[in-house]
Amino acid sequence: MKITLNWLKDFLKIKELNEEEVADLLTMSGTEVKKSEDVGARFKDIVIGQVNEFSSHPNADKLSVCKVNVGDNILNIVCGASNFKKNDIVPVALPGSKVGDLKIRRSKIRGQVSEGMMCSEAELGLSSDSEGIMILDGNYKIGKSFAKSAGLDDVIMELEITPNRPDCLSIIGIARELSALKDIELNIPDYNYSLEKENNFNIEIKDYNLCPRYSAKIFSNVPRIESPQWLKNRLIFCDVRPSDLIVDLTNYVMLETGQPLHAFDKDLLHSDKIIVRRAKKGEKIRTIDDNNRDLNPEMLVIADEGKAVAIAGIMGGKQTEINQNTKNFLLESANFNGPSIMRTSKKLGLRSEASNRFEKQIDPYLTIFAIKRFQVLLERITGHKENAKIYDNFKKTKRNRNIVLRSSKIRQVLGEDIKVGVASEILSGLQIDNKVKGKNLEANIPSFRYEDLEREVDLVEEVARIYGFNKFGSEPPAAKQSMGGYSFYQKKIRQLRDSLRDIGLAEVINYSFISQENFDKFNLGEEEEFNKLVKIINPINEDFQYLRSILLPAMFKTLEDNVKYKTSDIAIFEVSKVFEKSGKKLPIEKNKLGILLSGRKEQKSWDNGVEYYDFYDLKGMLEYIVEKFYPNKDLKIKAKEYKFFHPTIGGLANIDGIDLGIIGKVHPSICRGLDIEQDVYYLEINLDNFIKNIKGFKNFMPIPRYPSIEMDIAIVVDINIKHDDIVQLIKESGTGILKNIRLFDVYQGKQIEEGKKSMAYSLTFRREDKTLKDREVEIEIKRILSNLSKKFNAKLRE
Amino acid sequence: MDKDVNKLVNRLEEEFQNFKKDLKETTNLKELEKLKVNYLGKKSLITTTLKNIGSLPNDLKPVVGKNTNIYRKKIQASLDQKVEFFESLEFDKKLRKEKIDLSLPGKKPELGSKNIITQVIEEIEEIFIGMGFKIAEGPEVELDYYNFEALNTPEDHPARSLHDTFFISDDVLLRTHTSPMQVRYMEKYQPPINIIVPGKVYRRDYDVSHTPMFTQIEGLVVDKDINFKHLKWTLETVARKIFGRDRRVRFRPHYFPFTEPSAEMDVSCKICDGKGCRVCSGSGWLEILGAGMVDPNVYKFVGYDPDEFTGFAFGIGIERICMLKYGINDLRAFFENDMRFIRQF
Repeated sequence: MKITLNWLKDFLKIKELNEEEVADLLTMSGTEVKKSEDVGARFKDIVIGQVNEFSSHPNADKLSVCKVNVGDNILNIVCGASNFKKNDIVPVALPGSKVGDLKIRRSKIRGQVSEGMMCSEAELGLSSDSEGIMILDGNYKIGKSFAKSAGLDDVIMELEITPNRPDCLSIIGIARELSALKDIELNIPDYNYSLEKENNFNIEIKDYNLCPRYSAKIFSNVPRIESPQWLKNRLIFCDVRPSDLIVDLTNYVMLETGQPLHAFDKDLLHSDKIIVRRAKKGEKIRTIDDNNRDLNPEMLVIADEGKAVAIAGIMGGKQTEINQNTKNFLLESANFNGPSIMRTSKKLGLRSEASNRFEKQIDPYLTIFAIKRFQVLLERITGHKENAKIYDNFKKTKRNRNIVLRSSKIRQVLGEDIKVGVASEILSGLQIDNKVKGKNLEANIPSFRYEDLEREVDLVEEVARIYGFNKFGSEPPAAKQSMGGYSFYQKKIRQLRDSLRDIGLAEVINYSFISQENFDKFNLGEEEEFNKLVKIINPINEDFQYLRSILLPAMFKTLEDNVKYKTSDIAIFEVSKVFEKSGKKLPIEKNKLGILLSGRKEQKSWDNGVEYYDFYDLKGMLEYIVEKFYPNKDLKIKAKEYKFFHPTIGGLANIDGIDLGIIGKVHPSICRGLDIEQDVYYLEINLDNFIKNIKGFKNFMPIPRYPSIEMDIAIVVDINIKHDDIVQLIKESGTGILKNIRLFDVYQGKQIEEGKKSMAYSLTFRREDKTLKDREVEIEIKRILSNLSKKFNAKLRE
Repeated sequence: MDKDVNKLVNRLEEEFQNFKKDLKETTNLKELEKLKVNYLGKKSLITTTLKNIGSLPNDLKPVVGKNTNIYRKKIQASLDQKVEFFESLEFDKKLRKEKIDLSLPGKKPELGSKNIITQVIEEIEEIFIGMGFKIAEGPEVELDYYNFEALNTPEDHPARSLHDTFFISDDVLLRTHTSPMQVRYMEKYQPPINIIVPGKVYRRDYDVSHTPMFTQIEGLVVDKDINFKHLKWTLETVARKIFGRDRRVRFRPHYFPFTEPSAEMDVSCKICDGKGCRVCSGSGWLEILGAGMVDPNVYKFVGYDPDEFTGFAFGIGIERICMLKYGINDLRAFFENDMRFIRQF
């Protein structure tokens, strides 16, 4: 919300307000000043001048040369407009001033000296379009500052009003705050006159819960004149577009008092009765923004005896709008139920300055004051006196309460001893009546703060914020025997991230969403494990349709995006939740780790060729993690087909029967479909399973005392024999002295029969009780080879 | 007899002195070899003396043998030493011929990185752990009850419009802040409570300054006798740990439905040192978190006695901390995962 300092001053008994001081006081008491602009500075060195004489420019048809009196000087000014006459009063920008972005300086235009510029409204930023120079009336004194004369020497402040303070959505509300903060007396007029004239008008409220009060007044035969400049200026400063005097005044009074007003053309209403009722099923209305709106019985409307003429608290109808021919109008000043306005506004997708105030529940006692204020301003501007009665349908409810504020409570919450007398003064400053009773005080909450001051602690806050949060100190809480730290799970996650970083992976964070399109592209619909998607019922767009069930598509997108930036070598990981629909209200959330590799593992370098990531790089990383967290366990990959993996390169990873997750090569068709030419490898493990089974404690393994013997064997077997099976058989064939089996070569090619491969293993033997003899190893090797030969038809490779 | 022995010893000594002189003059292994022949070879004094020992009278044999051997050993030792010396010289010469270009690039393991958001979360976690806090985590898909209602934000509360929410169903949503864990944690545990809750949160808002997902750290301290001064101390301390000891800190009143009083905390702008610049939009201050004393209404939902317990809560926006700390000017960069961004940290 925007306010101006001069406007604020209208309601405070003070001559000058300092911009910085006001900004600081408001900000430090909870009304943050987001921005502050001295508008007067915009019009620096623009003064009031009078055109003494003018003649056409000797060298240019469309220009004229004017002599302009600016008080202490007569300036020669070349001008392009032609709407002015001799003796007209005009704004003149002197050399050194700025008009919009244009810097004014003394210059020669087609050989004639020009010592300034006469300005149009548009050039001064006072209207969006205007023709010719702005002609001022006789109230403007020659030589005076234009800004001051036009009421433009003002400061605009943009405020952030928190939702608990609808009373502050008004100049008067802010004046009230400032009065408490700076101890300035408020200057709010008390309109105590009574109005007599009967118009035989009627207000019927069908539902007092939705509309506790509806006040209205008829204005008849109002002279139609344009809004004065000062009024337009203030509206413009507060981001309201000026239009017609009546409409401008409704807006002006709303900004001032916080009470939204609406004016209907009285002669376009079909009855002398206003009915506040719920909309009928299927009822429609065209609002003043020229949109047709479908209403439903949840929504409250203002209607005449025929049909709806406004959506209550949100926007008026087009049909009864104030127009050029309006002579008589009905001014509405009503109070509506906040939540109901909020629901309707949300449903219609329609917000207005009025709904923004009503939805926060404003004070019903504002309605009459606002009408009277409107009337006073209208009379001041047009001279029109209106003696018509104010019609007021009001179902009064309790709007005040007493709250006891104990100084012990202040002490308990704030830790600061603020004396009850100080608290009392602060509350009085905020127009909250209170009486000190010993160490406590009893406050009587006024209607305009009824919603937000309900409890003792609310008063503690009022006292604290006006007193100043920074006035009282800070203190460490009393030392307690409390043990901080990571849980086991959190510690392991942190170690895992460090490990992944240490092997060169970069951590990415993607949005938790997946689109239907991506879901389909990765063929997830056919995968039991990943197809139970959680749906968002109000996504921003199709990218946010579901919560993701797998990290792959988003990580693949990271690859795609980076390839676009010419970074095509990707080694990334992500630790994130995935979501799965469950039978219960909340979905299942699983913590997952995804790793994706693609492109070059090593760039071509001066001592090495290019190396591309392959399946075994990814598997190696998984082995590295497994070895780190499960020191004596083996990782096993069981082939399994997934629709998003290569049909033969993909499977399930597990250690000792604990399922970890999936690993494989992303299906080449998927890659091609997404314009990725390079191979992509992906693994995803379930961190909940992975970490749950980690043993927190490693047992010491005695260091061997006797030397070991290493023997290499190379066998030739059928190409389909799996390494895992060979190792398994070697293990089973060996006795306790076989300690380790390591594959060090796999060969297929010329030197080997077709359909066969050579596998070379290095076997380590050792005894724990004495030095091993060569003979013992020979027996062992013989048995192993014989078993390999029997089971896999393996031949020793010479 | 003694005379003969003395004579021999003198000769040996003379021989040794000559040897030392010659040794000094040798410049390589070859010369050294020659020297060895001269002094220990077949015709050398020492070898001939030892050879002839058999013809000496019996009583002289041990004395002559002993003395001669002493000199033989002395010469041998000096020769060995010199050999070693020449060998090392030669080895050195050989090494000096082995040259590489030290300026060629090294064979570097690829540098990985933890995400900047992870790093800042961990940094903040460490600060709080040092203050005795535990770390709690909660679900990202939440019940309306925990996200709003039990946080004193019933349906139709105006504050709800500040949280544009993604819904799964009428009463299930993506949490809009990490605050629901306040309620979940208090439901489960009794004071004293000292926790922080890091995590992803979601709002239905997507433009230059909003992403639909971002990261928060919630904090909750509840006990007997916890007051606003403790809130101030805790958060001031944390802010200075993150941004530097010389930062000034201030608290502004604000509004959150689940704290009363509520505050926002600013730190003085590092760029302009509080004088006002573009980064702090001229104010000299940067807002970094929201906080407040836990509203008694929240205690009602978890069955705490508001007269017995007080506490404070706070919420820190991690991306904002990252931006201020590292001078990152585009919020969206955090989730675009451009390697040129990611690998900087």
